[in-house]
Amino acid sequence: MLLLKKITLLTLLCIVGISYSGHAQFLKKLKEKVNSAMGSNSSNTKNTNSQGGNNSNSSSGSPTNKTGGGLTNTTPPDVNQQMADAEKSQAAGDYSDARYSLQQALMGIELQIGKQILQSLPATVSGLQKDTIQNKVMSTQWGWNNLSIQSVYKKDDKQMTVTIGNNTMYSGFVNLYFNNAYAQTSSNDNKQNVKQTKVKSYKALITYDDSKGYTLMVPLGQSSLVVWECVNFATEQDVMNAANAFDIDGIKKMLGEQ
Amino acid sequence: MKYLLIFLFIFFVPQCFAQNFTADIKTAKASYASGKLEDSHFALLQAMQEIDLIIGKEVLKLMPAKMDAYTVNAKDDNVTSNVGFIGTTIHRTYGPQGNVDISIIGNSPLVSTLNAFLNTPLLGGMMSNGNNKIVKVQGYKGQLTKQDNGNGQTNYSIQIPLGNSLITFEGKNTTDSQALAWAGTMPLQQIAKLVQ
Repeated sequence: MLLLKKITLLTLLCIVGISYSGHAQFLKKLKEKVNSAMGSNSSNTKNTNSQGGNNSNSSSGSPTNKTGGGLTNTTPPDVNQQMADAEKSQAAGDYSDARYSLQQALMGIELQIGKQILQSLPATVSGLQKDTIQNKVMSTQWGWNNLSIQSVYKKDDKQMTVTIGNNTMYSGFVNLYFNNAYAQTSSNDNKQNVKQTKVKSYKALITYDDSKGYTLMVPLGQSSLVVWECVNFATEQDVMNAANAFDIDGIKKMLGEQ
Repeated sequence: MKYLLIFLFIFFVPQCFAQNFTADIKTAKASYASGKLEDSHFALLQAMQEIDLIIGKEVLKLMPAKMDAYTVNAKDDNVTSNVGFIGTTIHRTYGPQGNVDISIIGNSPLVSTLNAFLNTPLLGGMMSNGNNKIVKVQGYKGQLTKQDNGNGQTNYSIQIPLGNSLITFEGKNTTDSQALAWAGTMPLQQIAKLVQ
């Protein structure tokens, strides 16, 4: 009897449970329907809003930037002022500040050297025009390996990028190459992709890569290096002719190399 | 007599550096005024080296004269200025066998790796091999590393990045708590102010 009672109770509970879960499912569906209706409605209003007024709000609700003139070019550090500051800070015992001022002065001088060199580069080389917008002078305040100057020459799909750098590590590698007896071997097939050559009596290294074109490197003095990256140049001779148009002696002098 | 000599050395050496510095700045100014940019650049680099040496000497002055029972080995005090990848290197040892060894390297290339280790918990977890852990010395985060010498002795080193400089503190044949206590006696805040 007791067992029967228990079974009835259990069945009852099951039925209630099933009906409740059915009910819950129904409620859930209803809720989804309402939400979707509300959603489409609100998106409609959103659309009309954005069409009618400004559309500065993105879909996530945060505004997108529409105005702002960017950063203004800062003038290079005033070298005289920085040197005077360095002297003052050193006398006052603020060595950290003195060091900072010296770094700024160095950067100012490097930028000036860089600009002088940029101006000295020819306006046209082998029919390619100097793209003055892409002129770059960069100084990183890192002692010797710091200055790099870039200029780009272009015509149609032909491009030559000239990079003049005061970088010990890079030029060190090239010098290492000159001193290495095994360097002059050709590696793959019979095609020689790296070889030593000369530009205006300066030892140089020229490389060719199908994807990058010709790259010509000339180390100057102790730590400087000039690199010509030539894209879509027909022959090696074209590259050499272009490089010969540059006043390498002048660049070397301006970089203070012997 | 000996003390007099030491006094004269301490008193006059920074003066000499200061004189060199002034002379270098004077050369830089004159070269700049006459348009010799490269000469001015060179003179400024020289001045920078002088300043680095002065900073190094000042840092050495800030360090404690004794580390526990170990006295400073004044003859091992060393300041090197390298213009290039690494800036000033300041080195000092304490104790008869160089029991405590401190080096400060300016513009250290290791700083970024160490900072990544200290500030990325996941990276810190992956790179940890049970012999190192992150510690704090006077509020500065650092890495404590245990080195087993194999002869029953252990060395502990603590590396603390300060801006772009790196302080490496090494205690020979000691315990981690002892190494930390020694590192705690260093005036890190004042050193940080000078080397940054």
